[in-house]
Amino acid sequence: MSTAKSGGVTRRGFLGLAGAALAAPALAACNVSGNSGTSNAAGGGGTLKFWDMPWGQPAYNDAGKKLVEAYAPSGELPKASYQVIQWNNFYQTFSSAIASGSGPAVSSGAGFQAFQFAEQGAIAYADNVIEALKKDGTYDDFLPNVLDSMKTSAGYVAVPWQLDMRILWYNKAILDQAGLKLPTTWDELHTTGVALRKLGISGFAIGSGAGNPMGSHVMVAMMINNGGGLFDPDGKPDCVTDVNVEAIEFLLELVNEGIIDKGSVSFTIDNVSGLWNTGKAAIGFYSPGLTGAAPKTAANLVVADPLTGPRGGKGAVNFVNNLMMYKDTPSQQGSEEFLQYYLRNLHTYWDNKVASSIPVLKSIADSPAFSADPNNTKIVKEWQPISKNYAATGSTLFAGLAAVDGGQALSQFTQTILRGGTDARSALTTLQKGIEAVVQ
Amino acid sequence: MATTGLNRLRLARAGVGVAGAGRTGVRRSPNRGAFTLLVLIAPSVLLLVLINAYPLVYGAIQSIHRGTLITTGPLVGLENYTDVLADPRFWKATVFTLVFTLVGVFGSWVIGLTLALLLRTKVPGGPVFKVLLMTPWVVPIVVSSTAWNWLVAAPDSPLPTLTRWLGFGDALFLADPTLAAITVCVFKVWVSFPFMMLMTSAALASVDEGVYEAASIDGAGSRQKFTHITLPLISRSTYISWILMTIFCVNDFPTIYLLTGGGPVDSTTSLIVLAYRTVFQDFQTGPGVAIAFIMTIALVAVSTVLYRQIRKVEIA
Repeated sequence: MSTAKSGGVTRRGFLGLAGAALAAPALAACNVSGNSGTSNAAGGGGTLKFWDMPWGQPAYNDAGKKLVEAYAPSGELPKASYQVIQWNNFYQTFSSAIASGSGPAVSSGAGFQAFQFAEQGAIAYADNVIEALKKDGTYDDFLPNVLDSMKTSAGYVAVPWQLDMRILWYNKAILDQAGLKLPTTWDELHTTGVALRKLGISGFAIGSGAGNPMGSHVMVAMMINNGGGLFDPDGKPDCVTDVNVEAIEFLLELVNEGIIDKGSVSFTIDNVSGLWNTGKAAIGFYSPGLTGAAPKTAANLVVADPLTGPRGGKGAVNFVNNLMMYKDTPSQQGSEEFLQYYLRNLHTYWDNKVASSIPVLKSIADSPAFSADPNNTKIVKEWQPISKNYAATGSTLFAGLAAVDGGQALSQFTQTILRGGTDARSALTTLQKGIEAVVQ
Repeated sequence: MATTGLNRLRLARAGVGVAGAGRTGVRRSPNRGAFTLLVLIAPSVLLLVLINAYPLVYGAIQSIHRGTLITTGPLVGLENYTDVLADPRFWKATVFTLVFTLVGVFGSWVIGLTLALLLRTKVPGGPVFKVLLMTPWVVPIVVSSTAWNWLVAAPDSPLPTLTRWLGFGDALFLADPTLAAITVCVFKVWVSFPFMMLMTSAALASVDEGVYEAASIDGAGSRQKFTHITLPLISRSTYISWILMTIFCVNDFPTIYLLTGGGPVDSTTSLIVLAYRTVFQDFQTGPGVAIAFIMTIALVAVSTVLYRQIRKVEIA
């Protein structure tokens, strides 16, 4: 029998402790999925996790937290908790959480996220919620074409809650001072751009630097404006079309003539906002929240009329931001009830002026809090009806679009165009190949 | 029988128990001693396996499947690897990674060594300089990349303004592919030289001043002292810092991604950035992980070569 002792602890005891210490994290790791399974089985137990993104200023998330905390579920259904998920590595965050069974029950997220996770079997379809919204009249309150964009052959993957768009803005004070007329066609945009360039002011503010997808959005917006898009009506990549070539040739002309700054290729969102904020940008596409991003010149920033393309068409690109439910939930009924509660109280964000995008509900769009700003009214009345989603010329969104929006093919294409010195058709051909490689 | 300290150590290594004075030592079999050691290190080994080997194995599985981050997907064998190796973007990223690493390692080493040598001389406010020179290494990379972006990105940023004022025209530091690659490499050197300075300073501090005095008596000049005394005596530390900096550079994601995002037109896309973009922007998990694995193999090979060099130095 061993007599070796150390400070009163036997060797066997020490080994036992070491084994226990090792087993503890391993058991804890196993318990991640264990908890999830237990809560699912319980039905109404646990807390319903709602994950939200930073959709605007910090005040937005403060309002969101209050809204979620005020949720009083009926009967035994679970209460909800609120958590902010940063955009950095958000897909990684969602994926790893879902894979480990610790993901949210309901969340907001990227525009095509619901389609991706639906393809991977993680999404709970929202058909029951849609039926409930039909009964209480909310269904008819949605702006046209918004709700349908969430519909797939298997059901509604999510429910829209706000719209993002790329809108043409202008600085009225600069144009007035220079005696320039607001352009309404591509030709006029070109002429005005030449005049502004002589003043050292950007006539088409755009950027495609680190973490800035807006340049790519503008490329697609101009294609849609000319009646084109990245896909055909059946959803197959269809980049090399005459209308797309015409749109990209126009943008190349703006680059080659210095109307688009050659440095644009490296402009981050902050760089572009800075141009607007310092009065160095007079015209350009931006999100509906430009006045918030450029406070110094906000009073002079006005939403322009949608441009008329060379073929007489109008168009813009929109992104339907949505709320999705996941299969891993303490209670599916609880998720559905919470989602309905959240949709019915969406107006809080616009009432408190903490939302920076366009509401999807007519009742909010018509509310005094939102429509008091003429820019907002113009976006809803003139831009929303002509806007199409990223699937244009098709209309049905699908998971592969996530790899297009923000993917390497489109960002490289955009940077190639913004650098100039290329031809539209060959650049679009490369884009077509790139999209085909990532969209299966 | 009492045992000396050395004997105690030898006996302990042999797995033999040691008794105190006047007591008989308890003999145990070597096998039992080895077993005890194995049991003692088992928790650490198991933890390491859980932390390192599990993700490695899971990554290896992902790299031979066509799946997502959630699902493994169908088995495709080595198709992801062959696809990646046939992709021109991979080779472009490989070239940039090599350039970025070479400039990052040797650029920061030269500056770090120079500053370490300068700081050995007694100058007023030396400690203050040391602290200030550490700033690029200490400041979070998000902050320094934002500062560099402010310095070079827009036409009216300080550096483009300066180049215009000096008559060099509009320098598009982040918009021109060549200039962007140079800017990223310079940024990396700026971020990394304090680390090299610190490593070299520590190595220099261990060099006996008497060696220099003896060399001076023998008539050696400054250059001879540097090449024949300083460099050989700090070579072990130098190789270690090269290994570490090579790993830092090859795996450096934020320096590049925050400043240029890998652009313009992939001109600053390194392998780690390409792997990230392939997985998280193109959602091609298998090929992205395959890139990461190829990187790992290359890094292990480079590290092994450099490590052998250290052993040669030790033997010499």
